Amino acid sequence: MVAIHVENLVKTYDSRRVLDGVNLGVPEGEFYALMGPNGSGKTTLASIIAGVKKQDSGIVEVYGKKPAQTKEFIGYVPQENFSSPKLSGKENLMYFANLLGYSGSKANQLVAEVLKNVGLSEEADKRVAKYSGGMRKKLEVATAIFPGIKALILDEPTTGLDPAARRSFFGMVQDIRGRKTSIILITHIGSDAELASRVGLIDNGKMIAEGTPDELKRQHAVEDVITVETAAKTDSVLSVLKGYSINGKVVESETGYKIYSRNGDRVMADVVRNLDQAGHKVTRIEMARPTLEDVFFRLTERHLQEAIG
Amino acid sequence: MRQISAAYIKTVKELLRERAALFWTIAWPIIWVFIGSFSFTSSIPQGVVPYVKGSIAISMMVFALMIAGMSNLPASIAGDRANGLLAKLKSMPVKPYKDFTGRISAVITFSLLAAVLVIVIGTAIGARFTGTGVEIAQAIGFVFLVICASAGVGLIAGTLIKNLQGAIMTGVGIAVITSAISGILFPYEGLPVPLQTFARVYPISSAQASIVHLLAGPNMIAYNPLTSSQIALTIALSFVLLIIGTILYSRLGWKLD
Repeated sequence: MVAIHVENLVKTYDSRRVLDGVNLGVPEGEFYALMGPNGSGKTTLASIIAGVKKQDSGIVEVYGKKPAQTKEFIGYVPQENFSSPKLSGKENLMYFANLLGYSGSKANQLVAEVLKNVGLSEEADKRVAKYSGGMRKKLEVATAIFPGIKALILDEPTTGLDPAARRSFFGMVQDIRGRKTSIILITHIGSDAELASRVGLIDNGKMIAEGTPDELKRQHAVEDVITVETAAKTDSVLSVLKGYSINGKVVESETGYKIYSRNGDRVMADVVRNLDQAGHKVTRIEMARPTLEDVFFRLTERHLQEAIG
Repeated sequence: MRQISAAYIKTVKELLRERAALFWTIAWPIIWVFIGSFSFTSSIPQGVVPYVKGSIAISMMVFALMIAGMSNLPASIAGDRANGLLAKLKSMPVKPYKDFTGRISAVITFSLLAAVLVIVIGTAIGARFTGTGVEIAQAIGFVFLVICASAGVGLIAGTLIKNLQGAIMTGVGIAVITSAISGILFPYEGLPVPLQTFARVYPISSAQASIVHLLAGPNMIAYNPLTSSQIALTIALSFVLLIIGTILYSRLGWKLD
């Protein structure tokens, strides 16, 4: 079943097309990442799906209904920290539970449950002003996972989080995913998007590519980069390496060489074996996998961070 | 009803935990009740002093109500817009008028708390009030008009000024300037004629004059604010401000594009 269906979506601000004919389909239960630089239109797309903004033209349907009719089962977490720092985590969640129509012991029970689900039970009575960035973001996700929520939209949730908080955050997202909730993650961070089952790349209001992270890397010919260091740098080493790199391209650095391959795992083993057979000792070899940022660069000739600037 | 009470409880808790709101709405007027009561009454005949103190306490109570409506309310709106809460609320099945009703009820509660504290402190340091039961009821009616007009100005400021600090400063600025030029902070009779006209038209100063007239005696006010035309003007303009504020907030306050 299609949870979120977007067709030929157009949105204009001050005569600038922020979304220019965007198409998107997210099946029920899928974890979908929408990745692009700031200003690419991804937040606008998320806010239209969440019913916060209206499109100029095009179709948006969530479980077959227009966003205005789906507010009961969409959980939207905007980029900004919207929880009140003057209230405790529990008080914040009680506010949202009451807004959703829960009250009394039922609200208390639900709030206790969602606090447990996001791992904040022990911090429930602490004021949010004293929460870390990661705890606050988890609390805000908790406002969007009350019973009945079928689609969760997370806008740049890991911005400003340290690596440990980020890992913990995505652990929580995986738990939510396990409940068949469809998730759209808005991000400009490739390593975040890698965690999704499918990724859409958006730039200048247009979807420029879509697929699983592996598909995107394969389709857009992004290579593994293998760094090789040997005891001595010689023409013979260079000659061996050229045989394994795409188009024979070998980049020399001060300490060694870089070669490029679409099958790095196999090539690494072959390189070590052949250099050894040719009498060259490999002192260090390592491989860098391509990232979704590399795919974006290949498609747009711009790095995500450049595009952000 | 649950959505209204949710917005009400949240806003009341935030106001009671916000030091700036507590200071400017409650502590600051109380400080001026002290200063006014002990500094400006030395050359006044002793028999009149309790009623002058009563008049000062009423003026400071009105000032507290103005700050609550004109500054705390727009701060609550602009703050929630700036931190993304309005975007979150727009994605939920929440009606703007319910959010509005909860917020404004909270500000009224906070205003009344401030008003009671100012009057209690004023009374504790010697302020005395006159008035029959009917006059006290009428004075409460004028307090209600002050809240309506202040909340109207606050809703306009909170809707039109998107920036939190801008909304707060605009509200404080309007409260301080208008109370200074309309006879709330300084005696009406000392104002130039154009400002005396403004004081009669401005619903908050007119309501303040009415409360002083009713509870501290007619001698404390240099004109009679309780003529039928003056009362009608005060009521009309108070509700006009509230209605304009409500319409603007309902139509534009939740607009994020």
